[in-house]
Amino acid sequence: MFRLNRNLPKAIKVLFITVLVISISGFSPNNQNTKIIQGEKYDHQITDGENSRVIGPGDNITNIKKEAGEMPVYGNWKTFTQKDGLPANKAYCVRIDGDRVLVGTSGGLGVYENGEWRTYTVEDGIAHNGILAIDVSELTGDVWLGTLGGLTRWSGGKFDTFTQLNSGLANNVIYSVICDGKHVWSATGGGAGDYNTYTDEWEIYMERNAPMHEPWTYGVCAGDDKIWIAAWGGGVIEYNTKTKKFRDYIDPDSQMELDVFPDDGVVHDITTGVSYDEGILWVATYFGVNRYDGAHWNTYFDHDSGLLSNFNNFCRAVGPVIYFCTDLGLSTFNGNKWVSYQRNENNTAGKVLITNGAKLTDDIKIREFPASTSIAHNFTIGVDVQGDEIWVATSYGVSRGERLK
Amino acid sequence: MRKMYKLLVFSFLLAFSALQLTAQEKKSNYGNATDEIIPYGRFQEAYINFFDDPQLFTGAGREKPEPTDISEVRIGFLGPLSVSPIVPQGIQMLQGSELAIEEANKNGGYKGIPFKLMVHDDFGLWGAAANKVVEMYDEHVWAFLGSIDDINTHVALRATLKMEIPMMNSGDPDPTLTETRIPWLVHCISDDRQSCYALSEYIYKEKKLSRVALLRVDNRYGRVGTKEFREVSQRMMHPIVLEVRFLDGDTVFTKQINRIKNSNPDAIQLWGNAKETALIVNQIREMGIDLPIFASDRAMSPLFLKIAGKNAEGLVTTCQYNPKANNPALKEFQKNYYEKFGIEPDVFAAHAYDGMNMIIEAIQKAGLNRYLIRDVMTDVKTYQGVTGEIILDGAFNDVGAIWMSKIKNGEYEFFPSQLNISGN
Repeated sequence: MFRLNRNLPKAIKVLFITVLVISISGFSPNNQNTKIIQGEKYDHQITDGENSRVIGPGDNITNIKKEAGEMPVYGNWKTFTQKDGLPANKAYCVRIDGDRVLVGTSGGLGVYENGEWRTYTVEDGIAHNGILAIDVSELTGDVWLGTLGGLTRWSGGKFDTFTQLNSGLANNVIYSVICDGKHVWSATGGGAGDYNTYTDEWEIYMERNAPMHEPWTYGVCAGDDKIWIAAWGGGVIEYNTKTKKFRDYIDPDSQMELDVFPDDGVVHDITTGVSYDEGILWVATYFGVNRYDGAHWNTYFDHDSGLLSNFNNFCRAVGPVIYFCTDLGLSTFNGNKWVSYQRNENNTAGKVLITNGAKLTDDIKIREFPASTSIAHNFTIGVDVQGDEIWVATSYGVSRGERLK
Repeated sequence: MRKMYKLLVFSFLLAFSALQLTAQEKKSNYGNATDEIIPYGRFQEAYINFFDDPQLFTGAGREKPEPTDISEVRIGFLGPLSVSPIVPQGIQMLQGSELAIEEANKNGGYKGIPFKLMVHDDFGLWGAAANKVVEMYDEHVWAFLGSIDDINTHVALRATLKMEIPMMNSGDPDPTLTETRIPWLVHCISDDRQSCYALSEYIYKEKKLSRVALLRVDNRYGRVGTKEFREVSQRMMHPIVLEVRFLDGDTVFTKQINRIKNSNPDAIQLWGNAKETALIVNQIREMGIDLPIFASDRAMSPLFLKIAGKNAEGLVTTCQYNPKANNPALKEFQKNYYEKFGIEPDVFAAHAYDGMNMIIEAIQKAGLNRYLIRDVMTDVKTYQGVTGEIILDGAFNDVGAIWMSKIKNGEYEFFPSQLNISGN
């Protein structure tokens, strides 16, 4: 090591020490447990799960269940792709309907029943093979398909299509569809549509007759006599079906490039999904996610919580748990704890990431558990849960998981 | 003495390394904003900045093989080609694209297969742009260029993410376009955020004006385009004194101009299409108001000069490039364009030419796979086009130099914005 010669002039010594300090600070790498996932810098602080166990057939899951607490944990993942009978590898959405599963893909509708896949396409009467959204009416059992070419109803084995030319549909590209009693709501690039299946009447809501900044809508959900619309560029619009009144929730800082304060409202005006259950409204965006209990907003980012990525394609709430479809895997959360699923880059195994708290702190970190099976692809686009079964639509196939007991 | 010399050399080597590293790590503010105009910058550091790093596309698709049975390589075009008041700009955008395609085909196309432009008009049914993107998806285009109108462009962009088609935008100045974070869009033209920053720098810093009245068109172009100007004026401690609006197609603006006059401003900022802006300039001067007038870049138009005539003298606007730059590639483009179409190319033609060439080069490099084409397009850091240096930031938005333009003797004179000169 260098030792400064006592005979050197004082100025030279000061200069040397100053330069050394500057140099060392300049070179100091940020090595706080950073991790590279798919080429992207990923800042989660991750610790290895103690006594890590794999999650798959025959695996011992005691520790991971203990870590996850009341949160459901899924495993025994099985993936289906075109090779297995799925109409196309890109799966946009999935809906569990009793004993069958409906999957919207870029190549048509896939129906999984009794261990077999059946495919329905434009040749059967569907508006377009690109199926972005599916819902099933509890009232009638009709299946509603939001496609790239209109809204299709599958009823009594027959497909009927509604388009801008033959109905009051706002636009032919349907990003989201939900059934709320006799009403079928759709979110489109030309506004949100409400189709009353009893009276055959259509309403379109956009910036001219609702408090939306823009006409573009991307997600819609219902609950407790309210409809929430993820308005692309307009935050979240709440519509009270009893009073027929609107209110909007927008990003309080009104800036697209930043968030000044977390937990102050919708994280960003560009919203991609909304879901409501048990009195909680969840919001997905490409900039983080929100939880709103009717009084307080909470914001979660990938750097300060167990959320895998700020880029969220979709969300679905089932009971107290929200399922966020991110571009880096599936994140689930109940307000207290995160459980996320991520596939390995080079094999079909993956990992389960558990965060024992809503936000990361010095004491709350992400614990990683290897899993022998995982979801089809980390770019997740749709999800549905029924009982102990979960289905995840991804960029390359659809996966079925089972809740681990 | 020798030891001292060694120590000094070692010290300077270390210092040089450290400075180099610091320079590499130095990041400019989003949108090249000066520290003074960062939102909330005077009061609070943001909890998170969204566009420091580019948004990657992590989905599948890169593994798809190149097709072997095609006879043409299709590239989509989406623009205003009928009914809309911005059809002239749409036609220029189309012609710029056509010229790029024609030249690429003269050079052998893609491995001997010709490129073909699939042209789509974005006017039609409500939200037609989304339906048009579906049509292009069904036509198997490898990428597309469009559009100009901000509503149509947003609608198209939204559909683009679902269908995963690379999108180049060369004509919509709406800053919120790239702020949607959709990793399938590259924006090869400076946006209104850049224009507003340049205008506010010029008005408040260089011209030392402080009381600006804003007269803008009452549509999304006016609302979103002036947002940054309004907010930056406030951050620079010169809140605009009055904002009044007009409708596209209006011809009489007396009421608005009287209100402006009564607000006692020392300058007027206009934001609208060329025709209305020119009529307003005429009426301002006819009413005896001799204040400096500034305008949005749509005043950079022969139509504006024709209507406003000598009243346009001294008006200052921004321009996304310098059409009089001493750039051989630009001059060649201007010559070829004039020879082919019989008119001078405007800003929409020049940027469409660059944007289409960026698509073509990405296809040449990546092959026929939309995901790989997207990767190449978004990997571009700097592209040397006929419009100058296109510099893409973390949102894949062009933050290259913005130019100022002043009308003198009936012609536009160009000079660089101080923002570029000061290197902010």
